Amino acid sequence: MLDKVSFDVAEGEFFTLLGPSGCGKTTTLQCIAGLEVPSAGCISMGGQTVFSSEQNLMVPANKRDLGMVFQSYAIWPHMTVFDNVAFPLIHGPRKAAKSEIASRVREALARVQLDHLAERPAPLLSGGQQQRVALARALVHAPRLLLLDEPLSNLDAKLRDVMRGELRVLVKSLGITTIFVTHDQVEAMSMSDRVALMRDGQIVQIGAPRDIYLRPTSAFTASFMGHSNMIAGTMQSMGVAETALGPLRIDGATQAVGAKVFVIARPQSAVLLRGAAGGGANRFPACIAGLNFVGDQIEIDADCGARHLRLVVDSYGDLQLGEQVMVELLRDRLVVVPHDASVG
Amino acid sequence: MRAQRADRQALTLWVIAALVSVLILGPILVLFRASVSPPGTLPFDGWDLTFEHYATIFTRADNLRLAGNTLLYALGSVAIGVAIATGIAWATERTDMPGRVGARVMMFSWMAVPPLVMGFGWILLINPGNGALNALAKNTFGLTQPLFTIYSLWSLVMITALAVVPTAFVMVSGLMRNMDPQLEQAATVHGASGAVIARRITLPLVAPGVLSVAIFMFMTVVQAFDLPLIIGLTARIPVLSTRVYLLSSPDAGIPNYGLSSAFGVILVAVAALLMWSYFRAIRVSERFRVVTGRGFRPRRVALGGWRWPLFAAVLFYFVLMLLPLAMLAWASLFPSYRLPSFEALGYASLASYARVLDMGSVQRAIGHTVVLVLASASIVMALSSLIAWFSVRGRTVLARYVDILSFAPTAVPPIVMVMAILLLYLQSPLYGTLWILILGHVTIYIAFGTRTMGAALMQIHKELADAASISGAGWFTGLRRITLPLVWPHILNGWLWVVAHSARDLTIPLVLMTTGNVVVASALWQMWDFPDLSGASAVAMLLVAGLLMLVVPLQIYAARQSDRGH
Repeated sequence: MLDKVSFDVAEGEFFTLLGPSGCGKTTTLQCIAGLEVPSAGCISMGGQTVFSSEQNLMVPANKRDLGMVFQSYAIWPHMTVFDNVAFPLIHGPRKAAKSEIASRVREALARVQLDHLAERPAPLLSGGQQQRVALARALVHAPRLLLLDEPLSNLDAKLRDVMRGELRVLVKSLGITTIFVTHDQVEAMSMSDRVALMRDGQIVQIGAPRDIYLRPTSAFTASFMGHSNMIAGTMQSMGVAETALGPLRIDGATQAVGAKVFVIARPQSAVLLRGAAGGGANRFPACIAGLNFVGDQIEIDADCGARHLRLVVDSYGDLQLGEQVMVELLRDRLVVVPHDASVG
Repeated sequence: MRAQRADRQALTLWVIAALVSVLILGPILVLFRASVSPPGTLPFDGWDLTFEHYATIFTRADNLRLAGNTLLYALGSVAIGVAIATGIAWATERTDMPGRVGARVMMFSWMAVPPLVMGFGWILLINPGNGALNALAKNTFGLTQPLFTIYSLWSLVMITALAVVPTAFVMVSGLMRNMDPQLEQAATVHGASGAVIARRITLPLVAPGVLSVAIFMFMTVVQAFDLPLIIGLTARIPVLSTRVYLLSSPDAGIPNYGLSSAFGVILVAVAALLMWSYFRAIRVSERFRVVTGRGFRPRRVALGGWRWPLFAAVLFYFVLMLLPLAMLAWASLFPSYRLPSFEALGYASLASYARVLDMGSVQRAIGHTVVLVLASASIVMALSSLIAWFSVRGRTVLARYVDILSFAPTAVPPIVMVMAILLLYLQSPLYGTLWILILGHVTIYIAFGTRTMGAALMQIHKELADAASISGAGWFTGLRRITLPLVWPHILNGWLWVVAHSARDLTIPLVLMTTGNVVVASALWQMWDFPDLSGASAVAMLLVAGLLMLVVPLQIYAARQSDRGH
């Protein structure tokens, strides 16, 4: 069920629909593709309306001039790599001349570094190769819009990291407008120009990856995009929230006095001070209750008495388990969002 | 633009819906109408309604015996047949018994042998007068009475049980093959021996599945017509299906279509009830679902010292299966019947084959059969593929209607369906032509076709068709270039199944027979009835040989494929 999902994608933009499974991101993509028919609403592409419930208009998927990479890749097993890629040129609405097909297929395969496999039967491809063939097929007819439905989720972790970068570079170099669906916030942030975060069939927040991560507008966004400490509290005065840790000062907080809120503190929003004096704004004593060295950083469980905070410091710190420190939450890194009982 | 795409798809669906309605709904409605028509009238003669026929059925005492016979016949043959099938399926799928690939090929190829031919073979083997086995027993043990008699309920049950085995085997072996090996491995790890695992783990796990197979086979046997006709009638053991036939095609007197239709309606009701319980049983076995997807093959039980005894037992079953065929082959070699012996072998000749192949009626029958099986199989598979596509992908009410309707013939026994077709087309120009036989076979095999294709299309990932659509291909191009090529092996397999069943079926050709549309099965029946023993035997052998040539190569290929990776 989708409700009031509305967004614009600029020409050449890499736009991502992000959200947990069942949030409606794939359904949204299928509506854009023309594989699902919305009960109401309007979809247009490059000035042409392709769906409108008011005008009773529905341009079928095969007339929308799209390219799409499916989650399963949907490589046709009864054809060779070449035949798979040539299909849109032979059967699509913008048919290519016979003489042109071979060279355009080679070109598309070269783009994904698979030109040496053109004659291979599709079932003999590895997962990563299938994904590249799917991409070549989606791009060969130079569609006006590229749709990517979780194209990386079936690859192993290492290949996924490589393809993440390659995919963005490729579509950006072609300048093709792309809509990408994923449930992985790392993929969304590293690849997109803009991200729309969805939940229960609605868009929760749209913005650049940096904004969404650092400036969440809801508890859901904060909890979905990476780790954060959510400190329940009540606005005491303008820019000050009363919490279990004491009063916290937050820059740019606009919530009304008396409102129930969460103060969002990312693990990176604190500094740990050794041997510093107590008192001062947003500063309180803590005991290092847990230390987890993960290589590129150290995860710390800080026991601040009233509650624990999850923080990170860089790998070269030499904090000891049980050490007493001062924690300062930096006021320009804290964000206040409305209290939301459904998010823990 | 919406109209453009919708039109082509919707138009196809409407055409199919109309076709299926005429094909299936037509005969069923006529059947109901005929069952409430006054005696001596045809269903279209007037508007009078009467429940006289039903009253006759439920008040006459001998009908109770008829129901009892039918029940005993079906229960007995299914219980024995499914038990044998389960044993052999376990041996071929879950053990290292020698010769298991050959056994599987035999089982899958058995659809090439018409039950009719098996029945004839058994009559030659154990008829009380000069049955070959009886003669052997007399000579060996000096018996004065025949050891066996074909003309008894128990012979009928045993022979039907043997005929049930191959179909039941195909279904049960699928269950066994798809079982998660981890369930058995867990038992091994916790200290159970092979025999304990088979008894305590494997059998309970497949039990619900086997039960649903048994119900399905019960339904098939209740509807069976060939064997009850050739064995049961001489033995004076009428069952429901032969009763329907005798009432509509009596040896003497005029057909009583009304009473026959009323019996038919009751038979449909029984079959529908069985079908309902079949689906209930399937739902229960789904809960026990031991199929966990692909990518594994169950481990085989090492039989050790039991390998050869088990092999011998399976071999004994195949000898029993082949005995009637061998008997017919023997009978076909002598212009006048001789008991099998080494002395007689000197007089063997192929003269009977030359004689039957020279007969104009046989030549015509062969030509008719070729047209019948090719046309039936091709129409069934073309129609089924489209119906299945609409029922798997389409979500409209019309698609649902077509889906349900095409499944309905499963609950209508062929003997009842063909009588209804007879009533519907008796006064049309179709009657008496080969086309009415094609129509009959399309009607009764469409349910098989749609189920096969439905299962096949369900396995095709929806995104494969979506990808064609996104690439710009229209509905029909996607179907032609992507979906149908992907399910091509299933289409071929289904086509072959319909060819084999259409060629061996006697029910439809017999009831709709006129001088102008005799096919091999009905010609065989006529020669046997005449009686021309050597001619009938030769025709039977030719029919079996022709079907085997078609079926066996494919089954060998399929069995090799499925044994790989074990």
